[in-house]
Amino acid sequence: MRQIAVYGKGGIGKSTISANLAASFAESGLRTWYIGCDPKSDGSMTLLGGRQVPTFLEQMKKGGREVVFEGFRGVRCVETGGPLAGVGCAGRGIIVAVQELAKHHFRQEDDVLIYDVPGDVVCGGFAAPVRERYANEVYIVTSGEYLALYAANNIARGLANLNVNLGGIVCNSREVANEEEVVRRFAEAIGSHLIGFVPRSPVVRESENHGRTVIEHAPGDAQADAYRRLGRAILENERLAVPTPLDPQAIRDMLRETR
Amino acid sequence: MNDVLHPRPNPIVAAMYTLRDLEADIILVHGPAGCGFMAARRLEEAGVRVMTTGMQESDLIFGAEEKLVRILQEIDRRFRPRLIGVVGTCASMIIGENLDGAVKRAGVSATVLPVDVHGCSGPNTTGAIRTLEVAAERGVISPEERDRQKDMLGRATLIEQERGLTSRTYLQPHPGATKLAVAQEIVRTLRRGGAVAVALNAKKETAYGFADTLRAVEYARAAVGGDARYAGNLDPEVGLPRIRRYAVDILRDLRAAGVELDAVTGGLDEYPVAGDRAAEAMAAWRPDLRIVAGVPHAVPGLSKDDVLVTDQPRQLRNYIEQGFARSVGEISTHADVMAARSVLRSELGETIRQVVDGGLA
Repeated sequence: MRQIAVYGKGGIGKSTISANLAASFAESGLRTWYIGCDPKSDGSMTLLGGRQVPTFLEQMKKGGREVVFEGFRGVRCVETGGPLAGVGCAGRGIIVAVQELAKHHFRQEDDVLIYDVPGDVVCGGFAAPVRERYANEVYIVTSGEYLALYAANNIARGLANLNVNLGGIVCNSREVANEEEVVRRFAEAIGSHLIGFVPRSPVVRESENHGRTVIEHAPGDAQADAYRRLGRAILENERLAVPTPLDPQAIRDMLRETR
Repeated sequence: MNDVLHPRPNPIVAAMYTLRDLEADIILVHGPAGCGFMAARRLEEAGVRVMTTGMQESDLIFGAEEKLVRILQEIDRRFRPRLIGVVGTCASMIIGENLDGAVKRAGVSATVLPVDVHGCSGPNTTGAIRTLEVAAERGVISPEERDRQKDMLGRATLIEQERGLTSRTYLQPHPGATKLAVAQEIVRTLRRGGAVAVALNAKKETAYGFADTLRAVEYARAAVGGDARYAGNLDPEVGLPRIRRYAVDILRDLRAAGVELDAVTGGLDEYPVAGDRAAEAMAAWRPDLRIVAGVPHAVPGLSKDDVLVTDQPRQLRNYIEQGFARSVGEISTHADVMAARSVLRSELGETIRQVVDGGLA
């Protein structure tokens, strides 16, 4: 079973990429899980026809049993959920949810688990999927912008501290100049590689407006092929290594040199 | 900086004890059941109701402020307390629970002191200081009393770091020297016409246990002769009403046993500074044997021949390893004194009496 965690700066497109990856794996016949770890619990909506489902932690609190929801092509979707903004501990919520899911829900015959983890690694809880080895390879989503690369570098630092393998960097384009080259250089500088480039396309928003992934809504579109290529690259990927984060100044230097 | 490895009190427990001193009717621990459990048992023996919000895993994730509001209202309705202390714990404070906000939302008729401390807030005195600050903010104590106590707590922390439990990396518990040899030395000194000085330098309620040393020495002096002089931090005009009450009780029982203090060194919460005055008094008396009971290491200039009486097994190890061979333990003191309103019989006191009565020295 491949156990994958997707990290990246908030708003960079982790959930869009994770959901489309899950859809591409499922359409190729793999038994796939999507585990959304954001307390906002909206990452799985495009796999579930726009439906927002009860979260794992809400159900645990209320004694509800229904926590896994089947979406596009049988993708099993779970939203861990968590507290409202400003109260409780979202990190603890992730720890409890992933422990319980691993204990009671995942099965040996499953093929791929994708953990969609929010934002930066802000506390131990957000690192739980990788720290507890529920995920054994990590992909970081970034664009070619400084703040996205800065966040990616911070995540790489977290992985290095935890001695966790990075599978590669995904460039989700914001149409920055020389973006693919910038992200490729960053990836290599931290001891990893650019595993995929996802272009910017209006079909992504259009699909989301219909409550679907691009794979489901526009299966013949070039954007859907971009997600499929990324999925294949991840499944075939054997280049896993603990990253070596950069000094933030080195990221600025690299950006100046590349432009 | 060396890491201190042995277990010791934390700010949560110190906050609970300070609320006891402020005569809180109820202490509500906002955290998991079991947090502060042993301290709660003792405080309940002292007549304080201790309760918990019993936080569960889901409270940790989603927050437990609504639960705290609900429990505060239930406590207010059911027990009609005058003063409630709400004490934070690691669990509630790390997830950022707003104790003050919950207290305001509860809108109960009792005065409520929200004390936002947790186990990692620093030395245990941090919890006591935070409690005093909140108590002063809410008008339960005066700013002057808060400042006096904060000064004492600061000095107590310093003494522990310099000479006490936190001055050593690890201290294994030690039962202390046998009491018979020490009691014989005390009685022999008196019998041969020597002078014995006894300084009580005790922390709050523990004085109900340690004061028996003074009574026993006076018993021996009356029986075998010699000279005995007494000092004690038993000023009934210092401290919170509860602490003053302890001093009144103990002075009454000492007088009944024929003990009159030659030097009053301060109040029962002033042991960090009262030790200096005890040392001065004993130096002036030039006794043949000195006995210090309570928190001996707060008394400067101790001699290796002094008899030191304390209740902490790790403190006994600390003393004995420094060469104070006549360090004796009254290990059960803290547990025994919590509900006391009169001086209790101590092990050393009883041994001294047995030595006198049985002609063992």
